[in-house]
Amino acid sequence: MSSSLLILNHQLTITSSTYDSKFFFQTKPKSSRSPSLVTEDLRSFISKFYTVHSTNSASFMGLSSIGTASDGMQLCIFDLRRGQHEGQELDKILYFFPADLPFSTQLSVIGLSEGLITFTRIFSPEAACEVIEAERHSHVFYEAEPDIWMVMIVEKSKESEAIWRIDALREVLKEIHSLFVMFHGSIRALLEREPSGGLTRAHLYPFIMDYLRDFLIGKKLQLPSFRDCLMERRSVQMLTVGREAAIEVQTLVRILESSAGNLPCFSLILFQDLLVSTTLSPEDTINLFKYAVLRLTPLALSSGAKSWSYLRRGNSSSHVSIGSTLPSTGSVSEQFYGSHDASPAGDNRYHVTRPLQHDKWFKGKDGFLITDIWGGDIGSLNVTTPTVWLHQTEERMYLCAYQYKSLTIILLIPLSSILNGDQGVSILKQQLLENASLKILKVEEKLSKGWGGENAYHVSGYRYLLVDGNRDISRASPPTKVTTLSKESLLALNRLREEVDAEKSRAKWDNPGREKDLEVCIRAKNNAWAVARITGGKELYMVLEKANETLLYASDAVEKFSNRYCSGTFSLD
Amino acid sequence: MAGKASSSQTSVGGLGSGAVSHVFIHYPPLRCNIPGSRGFYYDDGNKLLISPTSDQVFSWKTVPFSPNAAPNIDSITEGPICSIRFSLDEKLIAVQRSNTSIDFLHRETGEVFTHRCKSESESILGFFWTDCPSCDIVVVKISGLDLFAYDHASKSLALVETKKMNVSWYVYTHESRLVLLASGMQCKSFHGFQLSSAGIIRLPKFEMVMAKPEANSKPVLASEDVYIVTVYGRIYCLQVDRVAMVLHSYRFYRDAIIQQGSLPIYSSKVAVSVVDNVLLVHQVDAKVVILYDIFSDSRAPISAPLPVLLRGFSRSDSFTSRPSTKESESLQASDSNDNESIVYGDGWTFLAISASSSEIPSVLEFLQRRKLEANKAKQLCLAIMQTMILECRPITMVAKAMDVLVTSYAHSLKTGTYFKGIKTERTPSSVSNVSGSGQVIDVNTGRTDGLGKSLQRESAPRVNSVSASDTEDSSSLEPSKISSNDTQFDGGKVDIGAESCTTGNPLNASVSDQQESQLTSPAISPDEMYKFVFAPIEEEMIGEPSYLVAIILELFRSANLEKVKVHPNLFVLTIQLLARSEQYAELGLFVINKIIEPSKEVALQLLESGRQNFQIRKLGSDMMRQLSLHQDYVLLLVQDGYYLEALRYARKHKVTTIRPSLFLEAAFTSNDSQHLAAVLRFFSDFIPGFRSTSDFFTYYHILNEMNSSSVVA
Repeated sequence: MSSSLLILNHQLTITSSTYDSKFFFQTKPKSSRSPSLVTEDLRSFISKFYTVHSTNSASFMGLSSIGTASDGMQLCIFDLRRGQHEGQELDKILYFFPADLPFSTQLSVIGLSEGLITFTRIFSPEAACEVIEAERHSHVFYEAEPDIWMVMIVEKSKESEAIWRIDALREVLKEIHSLFVMFHGSIRALLEREPSGGLTRAHLYPFIMDYLRDFLIGKKLQLPSFRDCLMERRSVQMLTVGREAAIEVQTLVRILESSAGNLPCFSLILFQDLLVSTTLSPEDTINLFKYAVLRLTPLALSSGAKSWSYLRRGNSSSHVSIGSTLPSTGSVSEQFYGSHDASPAGDNRYHVTRPLQHDKWFKGKDGFLITDIWGGDIGSLNVTTPTVWLHQTEERMYLCAYQYKSLTIILLIPLSSILNGDQGVSILKQQLLENASLKILKVEEKLSKGWGGENAYHVSGYRYLLVDGNRDISRASPPTKVTTLSKESLLALNRLREEVDAEKSRAKWDNPGREKDLEVCIRAKNNAWAVARITGGKELYMVLEKANETLLYASDAVEKFSNRYCSGTFSLD
Repeated sequence: MAGKASSSQTSVGGLGSGAVSHVFIHYPPLRCNIPGSRGFYYDDGNKLLISPTSDQVFSWKTVPFSPNAAPNIDSITEGPICSIRFSLDEKLIAVQRSNTSIDFLHRETGEVFTHRCKSESESILGFFWTDCPSCDIVVVKISGLDLFAYDHASKSLALVETKKMNVSWYVYTHESRLVLLASGMQCKSFHGFQLSSAGIIRLPKFEMVMAKPEANSKPVLASEDVYIVTVYGRIYCLQVDRVAMVLHSYRFYRDAIIQQGSLPIYSSKVAVSVVDNVLLVHQVDAKVVILYDIFSDSRAPISAPLPVLLRGFSRSDSFTSRPSTKESESLQASDSNDNESIVYGDGWTFLAISASSSEIPSVLEFLQRRKLEANKAKQLCLAIMQTMILECRPITMVAKAMDVLVTSYAHSLKTGTYFKGIKTERTPSSVSNVSGSGQVIDVNTGRTDGLGKSLQRESAPRVNSVSASDTEDSSSLEPSKISSNDTQFDGGKVDIGAESCTTGNPLNASVSDQQESQLTSPAISPDEMYKFVFAPIEEEMIGEPSYLVAIILELFRSANLEKVKVHPNLFVLTIQLLARSEQYAELGLFVINKIIEPSKEVALQLLESGRQNFQIRKLGSDMMRQLSLHQDYVLLLVQDGYYLEALRYARKHKVTTIRPSLFLEAAFTSNDSQHLAAVLRFFSDFIPGFRSTSDFFTYYHILNEMNSSSVVA
């Protein structure tokens, strides 16, 4: 075995000829550790490596053959604090996709990840391993909670569609986790509630399965690829409204919140699939917005025509159960994960709600959205009110969703402030209707009038993505317009975004709390320009296919766009 | 003054201060001792109180009212007096001697000529002076109207026009310039003419409604039962139906007369008057006055019935004999044996009444329509608004109230009354005391026997109220608009005419009051709204930031609808409130959607409040940049350590006012010799002579030290 170790510019690169893989990880700059210590740590790392693999009797080379059953994607969640003794290794696995993989294989994947985490923590205790780029696989790491890791392994297939942006994949992991926490609370809390881990697994398994179903196209999981480089997952899309409409919306917000009496409550208002108003913290806004767009908005409710978003095209076929895609032959793993996809909630040892289940929300006669996900009978309209857990207040809230035409209003009221449960909620709903229905009518009318349609934010000649990192807001060219771009352009932008991601994360460590201004223009094979400009925490990505004369021309085009649509934010000089 | 105290108290105290809904008779009264007086007449064309004796005419100006004023005395020839009116230029006195003759006295020369009916069969019912361009005096006879012009040269009347029709009796008010002529068996068919300075308008003939007590009897309408009133520049006719016990109202349009609905009455004896556009229905037997604001659609009274009381007057029951309260001042002549008359004026103040009502938005609406004591109404509106907010009334209610005030302000801007008020305030000398919109006197003559028996007026057609000054054509007939927005006060030409009456000083006003009340409109500007409503309660409302934000939002909403600018401090206040309650998400939305309008003050407040929240600070600095406050923006960048960006920005926007040492100091503190060198180089290149400044030498030295030390290390 020959391996070389390279430390260059705070980046540790291990090249191993045996495994034909390359590991990159960022180390914390100005590490106080002396070089001699590093060598020693490496030795222990390598020995640990071997231990892992020998106990599981699976060769490291075997990694490449694992993913075949599942379109080359594996996803696991494990807890480093569990299963530290020999024979108890299974304890650490909280979730594994595909679940029908032999435990030995699962353990070997997790073992590798664990080894790398442990090793890289030596150099960078606060931010361990982020990604492993092997020849045929990418391993994306995300530490969701302290010592609870999510790892996604994607296969770099020969067909060229499988080109990812690592950060985009990590966003998927983040989204899974934060949505999970919103509904079920933190994984650690679940583990503490029931140390055997059964409860946690019973929650995670159906939740992630329901989530992944949104990525199913036909029978294939379609993860975010380079084609999605003009979108930002963990951000909200907002409706641009005029002052008058904005004031109307805000007065509605006040009325909504006042109809809950003196209880502290929060609200979220959407028009179509766009956010109009929120009183939640950015983190909670992102999560609830995502959930609303996935399951609550009029587009999400009308199951026939799912969405104009190409991201969810083909979703109508989502009745294909994950189980069929992933032949669940291993009854062992079913027992292990506690829940079965096809079985309704509560059928098992644990009562598990599945908030991401499809086609479970309906619009009631009174305009409120109802679901039996949380229990009850939809026919008798006697359903349990959904609840979510808010990051900001660390409190469980009732979720009331009301819909009028294109307007979706979500009201969150603390569980603790309503004494008599569902009955109290229905009284509140009544009050809400009494106080706000006129205003809701007015607001909907105002917003509809100002609504420019699906292509409202299309700027002809430009394909862009605008991200306001300060406020977690993004706006992009409509997906239908993005699909007109050639593959080369998209690949170029994808590449550019990867560079920017790397630059951003480097800057974050080099100079925490400071924003770095950045401008990159690259020219693709097809003579298109891919442009990235970052200034003051705001990011602009752009593909200009027709601006093929000069760099100056491209730069001018960006300038124009910036002045016209971003109030000059990106106009540098 | 006694009466006044209660109202001013109310305007300060606002709601719940135990406001009393009472009407007080003015004190001191006008006292006069005229031996041989033949009673009192009121000339509504000139607003004169007239008391003739057998050979003299005593007249008092009632506007402005002064209890001590000495009367003018004119001598007339002896003879019976049916009615007496001064010409509008007050040069002539016309005295109706009988149903066939009228004497005209020239006041300066003392010349007299007599006008007689041509035939004996004609009988004069009465007469009135007019400012109609074609004629000067109108004589009403049982056969119709005779319109005469007065010829100064020949000192005689020249017949201009005759309008033939049967007339049983007539009513006329100078304020409306409208004469209604009753005819028919029941006297319920009416012809009408408006003789204004704009010309003569003939109204279509119409019938009034009368209920029948029994199948065969047909009641006859009496002139006492018909009143012409002017409210908000509109002309109405009110008719008492004694059988049905209702008061019918009709509104006059240029080409139609439309019945408007009926008000109940509770007394067989009813009198009607208007003060400050509020309709007062005096229920004589019930000894109460019921107030209506017929502008609003509701037929409900605006307050509980008010008792009729006399204050400071021992024989209070004498007042009840005939509630002669007309407009803002009412005179009561108490005819004692010694011929001493005591005349009282009473000040109607509706402010107290409105404060006691519970439906706040409609109260504000009512107050905003007040013309008399506009300042008091304004103060009261502000107080009500403030109290509402302090008491955390429901947002929807406050929103409605806010709408009322803002709409009223926008309306007053459109019609110009708001600025007119401001102007007159600035030049108080220009405000003459000529007119008082709605300062009218009604005279009640005769013997009050102290037993409270109602008293008939003595002879003469009833004199009525006047509200406009002579120069103004206060009311005219609008073309009828029979549509749903008929009730809207739409600021047309007619309305303006009526609205723009100069303010009448309340007779009892103190000096300071007088100056303040020269405001013509109680409209409240957004600046005043901030200064007198929000600024004072800011401290008290700290505990309820989100409520206050909701209220401010409602103000923004109303103001936006009416295209009125709000006070910029309100934006700053909103930011403070939202930041204080850590509602950063909302604050962000407020700024991004421009609910909070960008300004330098707003940007600075965002930066200040952004100390706790980075995103908010960001919004502040973005706003700075977008407002092209280049220098402030550059300073801000340097402060935050973005000195290179600051330099680049300064160069682009040619900001040259910031000292180079600031940038150099910032570069030095960042401990980056490359950056420091770059900054030094920048100034060396772009500022001529920089190389010879002390800044250059200091930092050049520092740079050298930094470089050498890094080499050593």
